[in-house]
Amino acid sequence: MTIFFILGIPLLLALAALVVRKKDVFGAVNSAGYLIVLCLSSGLLRQAVFLKRDIACFSFIYLDALSVFFIFVISVVAFASALYSIGYLKREMGRGVISEKKAGAYYLFFNLFCCSMFFVPAVNNLGMLWVAIEMTTLISALLVGFYNKKESVEAAWKYIIICSVGIIFALLGTILFSYAFAISGLSKSLNWSDMAPVAHILDKNILKAAFIFILVGYGTKAGLAPMHTWLPDAHSQAVAPISALLSGVLLKTAIYAILRFGIIVIKGVGFAYFAHLMILLGVISLIVSSGFILVQKDLKRLLAYSSIEHIGIISIGFGLGTPLAIAGALFHIFNHAVTKSLMFFGAGNIVNVYREHNMNVIRGVIKALPFTGIMVLLGCFALAGLPPFSIFFSEIMIIIAAFTSSSYLVAGLLLLFLAVIFAAFIYHFGKMLFGNIPNEMKAGGEPLSGKMAFLFLFSLVCVSGALLIYAGKDLIWLAQKLFQV
Amino acid sequence: MQVMILFAVLVLTYLMVIAKRVPALIRGFRFQSLFLFLATGLAAFKEKQMELYFISGLILLVKFFLIPHFLNLTARKIKVDENLGLLVNPQLSLICALALTYCSWVLSGNLGFGQRPLQLAAVSVAFSVIFIGAFLMISRMRAFTQVIGILVMENGIFLFASAVTGGMPFFVEIAIFLDVFISVLIMGIFVYRINKLFTHIDVNKLSQLKG
Repeated sequence: MTIFFILGIPLLLALAALVVRKKDVFGAVNSAGYLIVLCLSSGLLRQAVFLKRDIACFSFIYLDALSVFFIFVISVVAFASALYSIGYLKREMGRGVISEKKAGAYYLFFNLFCCSMFFVPAVNNLGMLWVAIEMTTLISALLVGFYNKKESVEAAWKYIIICSVGIIFALLGTILFSYAFAISGLSKSLNWSDMAPVAHILDKNILKAAFIFILVGYGTKAGLAPMHTWLPDAHSQAVAPISALLSGVLLKTAIYAILRFGIIVIKGVGFAYFAHLMILLGVISLIVSSGFILVQKDLKRLLAYSSIEHIGIISIGFGLGTPLAIAGALFHIFNHAVTKSLMFFGAGNIVNVYREHNMNVIRGVIKALPFTGIMVLLGCFALAGLPPFSIFFSEIMIIIAAFTSSSYLVAGLLLLFLAVIFAAFIYHFGKMLFGNIPNEMKAGGEPLSGKMAFLFLFSLVCVSGALLIYAGKDLIWLAQKLFQV
Repeated sequence: MQVMILFAVLVLTYLMVIAKRVPALIRGFRFQSLFLFLATGLAAFKEKQMELYFISGLILLVKFFLIPHFLNLTARKIKVDENLGLLVNPQLSLICALALTYCSWVLSGNLGFGQRPLQLAAVSVAFSVIFIGAFLMISRMRAFTQVIGILVMENGIFLFASAVTGGMPFFVEIAIFLDVFISVLIMGIFVYRINKLFTHIDVNKLSQLKG
């Protein structure tokens, strides 16, 4: 029952965005709505992960621990993003970059985007899963091209074309899966809960071919390396709160789709096939992204390439497939979503004050924006994987798992590229954060709602490492259960 | 009858490959959709399924009337020049398309569709329509052509689904139609904006974002 509220509240807010005139009031209502969604989804998480119960509503909605986990991650980032949007839009409206009417359109698309993302983990039918993911592309393309400048329209066009074509291949893969199911003599169905239990009797060759299509299709959306070309453009041109949503959770919903099909393939074909493909794509993502991170000049593109890196780590984690690695990958999904949103908010504030994306021009952020500067400094350490913060824990889990399953090559590559990226991050951010501010700059204040969003995310970055002690067993349980339906 | 329809779909795809002007391309898509409508209507008549009748009606409405009409409207509004921005000339394109058709025939044989000849033919045609759609997108560097390429690929997917599993579940099919329609509307908006901001729709020249 709760799930209908989670899906319904964003829809209601989208309708309200059309009606309400005063946009700063609406911003507060919006955040309150997402706070409720966050509470509801943590309730669901408790039910599904800690009390270990699956939830099915008719045959349309099916929630197990995996989907509830993703819904929870989406709701965390959506709440932070709604909170941050208030101050961000106020400033943009104050500067006259966007009109009141355009702010209304922003909230409309924001809510529709969140709603479509909540649909992805909730639906049972694999065809509807495809429709929901395609819907996220279409709505977020409007938010990527929101400023209607040359660069943003170019980014939005690349985004919508590359992702639509990619995802058509995913639909082809979905149809092949349903064909494999149909010729096995069972009734015709596209429901995941019907397919997964009988995966072992499905035709192996068809499953293999279908999974390639799925991986190419949803991999494009997830930003896995050879298909990632749309990602840096879209992430760097989107409105700052939307960049956080794109990088923090949109990529993860595509990973969710890959996992759903992956579970069927593992059961039908065997684990090695799935593992090799995931590890291969993960390692390519790491290599490509580390190169671009080293030579990057644009602040938001740097963060976008870092998303590709982390998606690579997550995919390696799932590819290794031991319970520890899967738990690490799941934990990493949460950690990356939280930390990267924090960084995109910080980048949004910096770009807003300096009017500049180029990292060679930005200097002395800590002096100009003391609060944002410190948050970005800590966030940069967290993102690079320094110990007290949560990303360190999930990365070390995956690396330990790689060593214990004697995949030394993977572990070595992972460590090597993490070190390279760590160095690049400290170099880029050190230059930007410290030093003297340009002469004509004046230090600006930061809105309270923005600060609250930062503090909310930052507390999660710090605390979730400790959360592992409390909930580690449940996470391992989820990981163990994941690949053995 | 079904073989005739499949043949017509394939020929129309080739015609789109050698088309040199935008209106011809839109017309090609329109008639391809018409034949999909005929195929679905035929299947509905044979199996006496209400749902299939409904879906074939939807094809006629969305893909034969609404989308081509909207595309024509946009083309007229932005005064698209007739040129398609061919990277590969029509003769070579046709050879590529034939090669892709052969590949899809081999692929569908390998996937195990060889038992029933009619299904093999349908699957091969579907794969070639999908691949040729992708080829159209890559080799024609105008924003407009890319939209049509996606639509052609989508037609191929529909053909594939109906050949392989007798179509997807009813409400999924409806949702996909809605989805395609919305995507064409949104892409239309962007074609319009690209034209306004850049004063051209040559995708080759969209190269501000790099690295």
